[in-house]
Amino acid sequence: MNYKIFSLLLITLIGGNAYSQNTIDSLSNYSTQNLLQINGYQRILQNLEAVPNGMTFGGYAEVLYNQPESANGEIDVQRLILLFGYKFDDRTQFVTEVEFEHVKEVYIEQAFVNYSISNSLNVRAGLMLVPMGIINEYHEPTTFNGVERPSIDKDLVPATWREIGMGVSGRSDALSLRYQAYIFNGFLSHNGSEGLLRGNNGFRSGRQKGAESVFRTPNFSMKLDFYGINGLRLGLSGYFGKTQAANEIFDTNGSRVGLSMLGLDARYNFRKFTARGQYITSSIADAFEYNQLTSEDLASNMSGYYLEVAYNMLPITNRQRLFTFVRYENFDTHHAVPSNIIKNPSFHRKEITTGLSYHLAPGTVFKIDYQNKSTAIVDSDKGQINMGVGVWF
Amino acid sequence: MMITTLINFSIAAVCFINTSLDFEVSKVIEKRMRKEITKSFLCKDYELIDVTESPSFKFKNNTYLSDHRIYKISRLGSLLGYAFLGTAPSKTDTFEYLILFDQNFIQMKAKVMVYREDYGGEISSNRWLSQFKNTSLGQRFVYGDNISAISGATISVKSMTNSINYVYSQLQRRLALASR
Repeated sequence: MNYKIFSLLLITLIGGNAYSQNTIDSLSNYSTQNLLQINGYQRILQNLEAVPNGMTFGGYAEVLYNQPESANGEIDVQRLILLFGYKFDDRTQFVTEVEFEHVKEVYIEQAFVNYSISNSLNVRAGLMLVPMGIINEYHEPTTFNGVERPSIDKDLVPATWREIGMGVSGRSDALSLRYQAYIFNGFLSHNGSEGLLRGNNGFRSGRQKGAESVFRTPNFSMKLDFYGINGLRLGLSGYFGKTQAANEIFDTNGSRVGLSMLGLDARYNFRKFTARGQYITSSIADAFEYNQLTSEDLASNMSGYYLEVAYNMLPITNRQRLFTFVRYENFDTHHAVPSNIIKNPSFHRKEITTGLSYHLAPGTVFKIDYQNKSTAIVDSDKGQINMGVGVWF
Repeated sequence: MMITTLINFSIAAVCFINTSLDFEVSKVIEKRMRKEITKSFLCKDYELIDVTESPSFKFKNNTYLSDHRIYKISRLGSLLGYAFLGTAPSKTDTFEYLILFDQNFIQMKAKVMVYREDYGGEISSNRWLSQFKNTSLGQRFVYGDNISAISGATISVKSMTNSINYVYSQLQRRLALASR
């Protein structure tokens, strides 16, 4: 929410309060009375005025309920994120997101300075999101269907994937192209006592999230987004580099692995119809040596995709939208394995999610869906019902 | 007759006061606007007359238009067209856009002059903005219907669409009143 709107709202609230206390005052004197009577709040208002216009406040939140078949359900404030931005001048801006996960875990999701040289060139540095696929960058609950984010964006792209780095971003209006290129800190593959990368979710546990992170060799990340065809947006992402390892094990063979991740994504809108899809493939060098050192089961290739179609059942001119959607995911975190481990068929996952996203107002959504999760193992199907509310302001 | 003379006089007075651009319009925006006008009207020796406050154009701002300026573009005394400079909200900031009209208020071009935040900058795409081209003030735009969506830029796309709708409706009303 824009700060100005926020302060306006506050003024309105305060004004309303003052008015109710002075109902005996004639209506014609209302505005003057109001000004005189709010002395008690004037300090607050003055403080608000003292905050320069460059301040921004916003956030998003998801409160979710997952009910697997014949097991306990889970009800969780999955995440609550508070965004603060401060604009020092027209070129220089600081953006940060403070994240509360499951109520009690606090993280910083983003904290970076953006310096705008021109519309086509920004330089930024700090804790930033790695641009890979759709969800890692666009994960506010009103921007995607399904109570839970696609599973591929958890196990293959470790969303929300952020590290400290610096780089450039910008766009070409003539080419309808957005570009981003960064140097980031990489994953931590070995903390000195154990390996952090695993077969079932790859690099997820290796994220350093900018917290006292270990760094020696930089990783490179880029993304190109093309939106020059009306209704269509195409993305190409790449991430290349080597993981980090604790000092005492840094030079030990297998403590670090090479990673090349490529992503292709597409989003399409036509009237009441939307569709999106994403393909991710990760090649891991030195997985053999890593497994030998750590007794883990890291793959040499993880790949997968998802496809989703949705249809808005309400008239296009309505403020509310009611999407019915179906999403199919197929990914394998053991797509290819080094010779010292055997393929685990339970890591080849297939999921169908179908349900509704009811946008009560732009920025507020109620979601309900049913998921059928299965693996390459025969008769491994499991059902789950999810419900949730999400907001973004 | 007398009323017409009066209006003409008031326009003349406004012209006199505003021979130079308003100081609120930053140098960067002015430079970019002049460049776009030169490109669209194929001349450099035009004159810009601020008519924002003139009775036949004056209208209030709203949620989707926090500030605006209207200029007459003329050359050697003849009217070439109009330039409209508007400020609209993006997710957490504002952006400035320019609309160039010909002398009959048919849109020639829409262009984003300054876009400040990262989110939603895709609306500056020339391709997307060309959807508003060659439209007249009577036209209304519906997000997702005759104006296509841009994934990842929904807020700004809606803001720009609403802003242009508002500007069109206000200008249409002003002009209808003025021609009465």
